[in-house]
Amino acid sequence: MRVRLPFTALAAVAVAATVAACSPSAPSGPGGSTSDAVLTIATTTDVVNFNPLIGNSRTDSWITGLMYPRLLTIDANGAKQPYLAKDYGFTDATTAYWNLRDDMKWSDGKPVSADDVAYTINSILKDKPTGNTTYGQLVNVDSASAASPTRVELKLKRPDSTVVTEVGFWMNVVPKHVFEPAGSVAKFPNNSNWVSAGQFKLTTVAKGQSYTLERVTPYPFAPKGTPTVAKIVYRVYPDVNTEILALKNGDVDLIANALPPAQVKNLQSAPGVKVEQVPGLGYAHMTYNMKRKPLENLKVREALAHAVNYEAIRSVVLQGQAVSTGSSPIPPVLKDFADPSSKEYAFDTGLSKQLLAEAGFGPDKPLSLTMIYSLQDAVTSQWAALVKDDAAKAGITINLQGMDRNTYLAKTNAGDYDIYAGNFAIMDDPTTNMALTYLPGGAINYSNVDDPALNALITKAQSTTDKGQQKQLAQEAGKLVRDNVYDNVMYMQNLYIAHSDKWSNFIIKPSELLSLVDPQSLANATKS
Amino acid sequence: MTATPGPAAAGLETVITDQVTAARATWSAFRRNPLGIASLGILAVLVLVGVCAPLIAASPSGYGDQVLQPPSGAHWFGTDNLGRDIFAEVVWGARLSIVIAALSSALAILIGVLVAVLGAYFPKADTVIGTVVDLCLSLPVLPLMILVAALAGPSLVTLVLVIAFFSWPEVTRVVRSQALSVVRLPYMDAARVTGGSHAWIIRKHLLPAVAPVIVVSVVLTASRAVLSAAGLAFLGLGDPTSWSWGRILYEAEQSGAMSSAWWTTLFPSLAMLALVVSATLISIAYNDARNPRTRED
Amino acid sequence: MPQVLRFAVRRIGRGLLTLWFAATVTFLLLRLLPGDPALAVASPNMTPEARQTLLQQYGLDEPLLTQYGKYLWQLLHGNLGTSFSQQLPVSTVLLQRLPWTLLLTVSSLLVTVAVGIPLGVLAATRPRGFLDRLVQVGGVVGQSLFVPSVGIFLLFVLGLQLHWLPIGGAYSPGVYGTAWYGDVLQHLVLPCFSLVLVQLGSYVLTLRSTLIDSLGEDYCVLAQAKGLPNRKVVWKHALRNALLPTTTLVGLQLGFLVGGAVLTETVFAYPGIGRGIYEAVTQLDFPVLQGAFVLLAATVVLANVLTDLAYGLLDPRVRTA
Repeated sequence: MRVRLPFTALAAVAVAATVAACSPSAPSGPGGSTSDAVLTIATTTDVVNFNPLIGNSRTDSWITGLMYPRLLTIDANGAKQPYLAKDYGFTDATTAYWNLRDDMKWSDGKPVSADDVAYTINSILKDKPTGNTTYGQLVNVDSASAASPTRVELKLKRPDSTVVTEVGFWMNVVPKHVFEPAGSVAKFPNNSNWVSAGQFKLTTVAKGQSYTLERVTPYPFAPKGTPTVAKIVYRVYPDVNTEILALKNGDVDLIANALPPAQVKNLQSAPGVKVEQVPGLGYAHMTYNMKRKPLENLKVREALAHAVNYEAIRSVVLQGQAVSTGSSPIPPVLKDFADPSSKEYAFDTGLSKQLLAEAGFGPDKPLSLTMIYSLQDAVTSQWAALVKDDAAKAGITINLQGMDRNTYLAKTNAGDYDIYAGNFAIMDDPTTNMALTYLPGGAINYSNVDDPALNALITKAQSTTDKGQQKQLAQEAGKLVRDNVYDNVMYMQNLYIAHSDKWSNFIIKPSELLSLVDPQSLANATKS
Repeated sequence: MTATPGPAAAGLETVITDQVTAARATWSAFRRNPLGIASLGILAVLVLVGVCAPLIAASPSGYGDQVLQPPSGAHWFGTDNLGRDIFAEVVWGARLSIVIAALSSALAILIGVLVAVLGAYFPKADTVIGTVVDLCLSLPVLPLMILVAALAGPSLVTLVLVIAFFSWPEVTRVVRSQALSVVRLPYMDAARVTGGSHAWIIRKHLLPAVAPVIVVSVVLTASRAVLSAAGLAFLGLGDPTSWSWGRILYEAEQSGAMSSAWWTTLFPSLAMLALVVSATLISIAYNDARNPRTRED
Repeated sequence: MPQVLRFAVRRIGRGLLTLWFAATVTFLLLRLLPGDPALAVASPNMTPEARQTLLQQYGLDEPLLTQYGKYLWQLLHGNLGTSFSQQLPVSTVLLQRLPWTLLLTVSSLLVTVAVGIPLGVLAATRPRGFLDRLVQVGGVVGQSLFVPSVGIFLLFVLGLQLHWLPIGGAYSPGVYGTAWYGDVLQHLVLPCFSLVLVQLGSYVLTLRSTLIDSLGEDYCVLAQAKGLPNRKVVWKHALRNALLPTTTLVGLQLGFLVGGAVLTETVFAYPGIGRGIYEAVTQLDFPVLQGAFVLLAATVVLANVLTDLAYGLLDPRVRTA
């Protein structure tokens, strides 16, 4: 058939081009000494950017987290632990410091020095990379400097007792000698010739498909200085169903993203699969925009808070995998701060109606509000519908506005909503978080609250370095938030991560961000 | 089935009588095609289910305590990840899916036919229209739909507009070729010579002549719209506040239920398949019945 | 052959026109629809001034016409801009993915044609026979299937239950040399199969109806009357003429096809351009979107021009049409 000729030719060309362009060559060189185990990890999002200072997808942070060390890490209870920094503290109210280990090296042989840390901080301040979490925590920081190769000093504009731990935990340190020649860190793609100080270094990238990292030695946090895993391969499965099939089939060893709540039971009983519980460190909440009438009225906010069946949301949407925080913004997992006496708002439609009536609303003057949430957030999308149905029982109309994540963030920043529904992945330090959430001008003050009493408590907690006093102040602030419905914290979700039962010895860390794929955990995992 | 003009059409009775007999002949041929009749029945049932949804099942809302239960006497199609009855979701989904299909195909047909007829009737405009249609057809449609739906925000109106906006060129292509062949027939010249206005000629002669093609286009565009709407919904760009078949599948995908709870995907997929297949088979059977060459006499 | 030359020039000119049209539609869609491009590049941390500087850098603060002019000028130079989210040239971002989409579409198209021609002939030679009905129903069912549902089903049965084929991806990491080609082929089977399933219907049905039409044409009736064996009439005369409109239709639907791979690529975790477009939409990465549409349109145009030119050389009727 001559008609097929052009097609055949075209196909042949295309196939040849594909194959010629992509056929990978086998790596050369001797393998590792301890084990040749390869750990394959599945994720649903592709890598967007290899620059750890630009915040994008979760997979970005998992992969760059293996290459660029943090100063501090966190244990299962949310307490900070030394990592690159041996110790830290304050020399006076406006000078903070970190002392670094001296045995960490970049993969090109140069030591990880205080100069790298100072460079990273100063670049973030100067170039303001998009989506960088640390930038918000650096508000009180003037500049950073290297006092010696192992000592970093922070000059503060005003006292801030949490900056050392927060920046220490959230920031990835990048190699100055690689990033500086590239100019602005906000525009550096960092997409080849990677230099790593983690225990793994990116070697091969197949966009949209797989990312291969190879072991780097010596690494001080692994047994005998050598990570037990020789190679880590991240594979992208955009559809969570395919991802689960791949795990059951043994194509991947671990699913990095938290399982959808309804799938936990199914995978717990699947042969060859083990499911680990990971404590959450954040919370899901609704905030009522107090700049909009009638939400400035406490009675209206209370009416809304009493019109939600929290227990049903936790038992159905989250399949019982979430715990109540007692409507307090301090989750119970933070044992050093939590206030066990805090009580959750009762689900009471009658009380809700009564409060509404007192605020002047009723059948003749119905209350109608909009609620925004991100459609990419499957769990929130589900309980948003429940909130709407329960509010209707109390005579409140809630118009759901689920939208694409970017539009949602834009609307949130513009304050264009009555009710905001969403969640925070990690709320590791109550003082810092309350400053961001409840101080006027705070980066995530979505309820637009400005209460002088609350402001005073938070500012005082920020400036004290006394643990006991900080706890008391935080609890008082939390109570104020709960009693005035400045925020409606609904639950803290425990996450479930599935992996092949051939693997063990993971170190479990809180939140989806660290979970089982934290550098320390992957350096110690073993295959049977 | 065919839109035949009433007997009141002035003049040129022969043409009209021809058309009436043709329509009768088409119908009697169509009736003898078992596939066509069966499909017509299935389509009628689906539309009926959509219209009478409130009588068949309560609107699916809230939650139930029986999460991801396989089909049983209490829940014919099982339950989803929030314990809602999938049978009710499919029934209510029929309503929205059919509404989206009907509205977007109506709009696409309106634009498509208008452009096609204008092109065929005014030869000067035709070159431009022909080129534009060919250009539109070579664009990657689904990604464009995704883009527009994402930027404009997911809602019923967006969905209908997006699907209609990207479907009309196909309608124009089909209708235009038929209209072009009709315009060249002698009776059109006769109508022009006898002094009929353009609008009158188009309404009384051109439109009836292309009506059969339009009928086929309606059916095909509508059934494609069902698949497009489901595809967009599956990517999270559907209307999140009302039930459509696409949304059932989207929620099954999001909750990871597709891989383990077959009933969450099977039933909405079957409903969609039934609708699209029956619509397509009707149009094929109608085409065959209309064409004397393939008519089963 | 001046006539052939004129035909070629006209056809290529038309291709260029299509490209310009695609580029313009994309540009206008991205600029005129709601959704703030500044949002994608600017961080919420930014002061209004910093944001303004950034917009300036990307030329997003200039009048629409100036932006359009610059955009076309850059396109002419093969410059697709820089990705907002990845800080890389758009061409780098897309060219990593395009080959996979091409492999998937072209292979599925080949299979469709190879399977579709015999099926179409079979159906058309005995219209209303059992086989014809079977082909019709099968074709219609195929094109009415919802790809993700079918995809998960195929993965579940052929992947998880029977272990015949791998689950997701374009190849397994860590496979090298000749084994790699086999691996790519194995990974291609399921996504290709599901695309063929969806396309085959419309191909066979179009071929069937055009074949039936041309079998009724005088020259075929004559050939039959002359006593030529039926098989020869169908394969040599009718099919040759029926293939022209059918293949043109396939060419027209190529855009639909290439773009329609989004769902397939999602379910089968295939690293193609469709998935890349979807990700760019969620990140509001306008330069990548712009580039992807232009690149897809270029692919479709190139394929169509090549097919038409080949036809023109082989079939004199096309040249004059």
